[in-house]
Amino acid sequence: MFNYYLRLAWISILRHWGLSLLMVCAIGLGIGAAMTTVTVNYLMSANPIPEKSQQLYYVQLDSWDVNHPFNDGLSPPDQMTFTDATNLMRAKKAFRQNVQAQAFGVIEPENPDMLPLIVYGRANSADFFPMFNVPFIYGSGWSSTSDDNKEFVVVLSKKTNEKLFGGEDSVGKSIKLEGNIFRVVGVIDNWQPKPRFYDISTGAFNDSEDIFVPFHLIVDEKISRSGNTNCWKPAGDGFQAFLASECIWTQFWVELKTQQDKSDYLQFLNAYVQEQKQFGRFQRPIDNRLSNVMQWLESQEVVADDAQMMMAMSFMFLIVCLLNTVGLLLAKFLGKAPEIGLRQALGASKRTLFSQYIIESACIGILGGILGLILAYLGLQGIEILYGDSMKDLATLDSNMATLAVLLALFSTILAGLYPTWRACNIQPAQQLKSQ
Amino acid sequence: MLVMKNINKIFQTADIQTHALRDFCLQVNEGDFVSVTGPSGSGKTTFLNIAGLLETFTDGEFLLDGEAVGQLNDDGRSRMRNEKIGFIFQGFNLIPDLNLYDNVDVPLRYRGFNAKERKRRIEESLERVGLASRLKHLPSQLSGGQQQRVAIARALATSPRFLLADEPTGNLDSEMAQGVMTLLEEINQQGTTIIMVTHDAQLAQRAKRTIQVKDGRVSELEKVTPIMNQAIA
Repeated sequence: MFNYYLRLAWISILRHWGLSLLMVCAIGLGIGAAMTTVTVNYLMSANPIPEKSQQLYYVQLDSWDVNHPFNDGLSPPDQMTFTDATNLMRAKKAFRQNVQAQAFGVIEPENPDMLPLIVYGRANSADFFPMFNVPFIYGSGWSSTSDDNKEFVVVLSKKTNEKLFGGEDSVGKSIKLEGNIFRVVGVIDNWQPKPRFYDISTGAFNDSEDIFVPFHLIVDEKISRSGNTNCWKPAGDGFQAFLASECIWTQFWVELKTQQDKSDYLQFLNAYVQEQKQFGRFQRPIDNRLSNVMQWLESQEVVADDAQMMMAMSFMFLIVCLLNTVGLLLAKFLGKAPEIGLRQALGASKRTLFSQYIIESACIGILGGILGLILAYLGLQGIEILYGDSMKDLATLDSNMATLAVLLALFSTILAGLYPTWRACNIQPAQQLKSQ
Repeated sequence: MLVMKNINKIFQTADIQTHALRDFCLQVNEGDFVSVTGPSGSGKTTFLNIAGLLETFTDGEFLLDGEAVGQLNDDGRSRMRNEKIGFIFQGFNLIPDLNLYDNVDVPLRYRGFNAKERKRRIEESLERVGLASRLKHLPSQLSGGQQQRVAIARALATSPRFLLADEPTGNLDSEMAQGVMTLLEEINQQGTTIIMVTHDAQLAQRAKRTIQVKDGRVSELEKVTPIMNQAIA
């Protein structure tokens, strides 16, 4: 009977095409609006490294002003001082640890015909690459020995490698960056974690960097530092004074395998802060935090409030569309009262009629879902045009979202069809047959 | 056999109670052709609706082929309608979106016949009413008389024991009405029990039995069968 009901639904949709089109448009608009915002929220709140997000921890120490707490005392500073980051690195208490900051520089290509290339980079520790499962097409990251020996090594993004070396294996080759010769040790494959969890201080949805260099090169002023810097007291004159200041500008991540490791590391941090207090630092109560990836993204409100508000509003719009659909379905089904009465006379029970009309509702829902998908795609394109490259990877419908759109349309239309269908099934056949 | 004993039907609104049938008693035997006449509002159609299980009754006893109809739920009533009863209406009541084949197919679908059996029955029944060549026509492409023939074919397709006809010729001119009546007589001769409500005294006379309904009761019997209210009371 399912095929028969499908056929009847199709005939009915075609026969009452105007009414059907209105319903499909109403559902399509609602689903389109809802799916556009759901997709953005879904991608914003996605786990960017699910395989080990529970083992990676962002480290926060409260080194801030005793009289004016950071973030009104709600959370410790979101970055770390160079002093603390260096001390924690030296301690090597975690399975892996990484200190990093944003950097930039200019590459002078060997080819005299090419213009100098401004690149955005990351200065980080050797552990950055294995910690964050960075994929390589050529070579690998540098070793901790390279960090210790302050070697001029560089890892290129795939895009940068294409620009400089035409996409060939460039491992072992050299580039001139900020006047210094760097040896290429690896080329990263396409890698754009969204959100860019490892540094959300400079934009959670920005692209990954063009180059990666050892962190110490910033310290030695071989490459320029960029990114956010916050200070609660004057840093003093000169770069060395800045490094020794209480300004926060580095991010510190550790990889801890077990909960026991995490507990041990937190104890270590507390002991460290206690020790620093003896030097007149960390005047505030101890508030050290280890946040795994998702906790960190949540605490930093990576999914913006306005995005969630938009999603809520779009769902309200969907409800309005569905209420319209309820009215239209009611008009359609009650308009078929004579046919319903006749079908009852010919042997259709309320149950079979319910199946028939719920399947018709579902068919309209699927058509609405398909239209909704198209509208959601257009909506996402619109968002990308409006917000530019930062939304490039967020304005994408994946198969999960496409399936969700159709299921949402199907489910919501069936829900909207319940009352009209129930009313249709309770039509008294005798009255309809006489009046036809 | 159809047996109604002391059937009452009361239509209730907020202010008014209307007795459509009062202690209505009737027995219709296998192979009967009963015409039901009576003035408008006498209860003819209410009787036919109750006989066709399209409407429930307030109290009394109704046996259809020995089965107490009052005990049946919606599924049971639907099954019985589908298996035992065929309907013919004054307004033909064909589904305008479906062609003749699909119109006749409707009750067969609910019976659960396979495609082959359905095809056989549809073709046979449309052949029987002389419309086998118009399987793909829509109802709107037929004359009134032809539409009523399709309705008869649809009613016959399930091989019902009872054929209930409510003013089957009411919308037809006299020539077409005669044709439909002749067809009903043929069907009755082949063993199907027919109960026909009509205003047309001439057509009513062509039935084997004629009963008159007045004020919700079987008030008069004419012609053949000596069944009265008290006969089955």
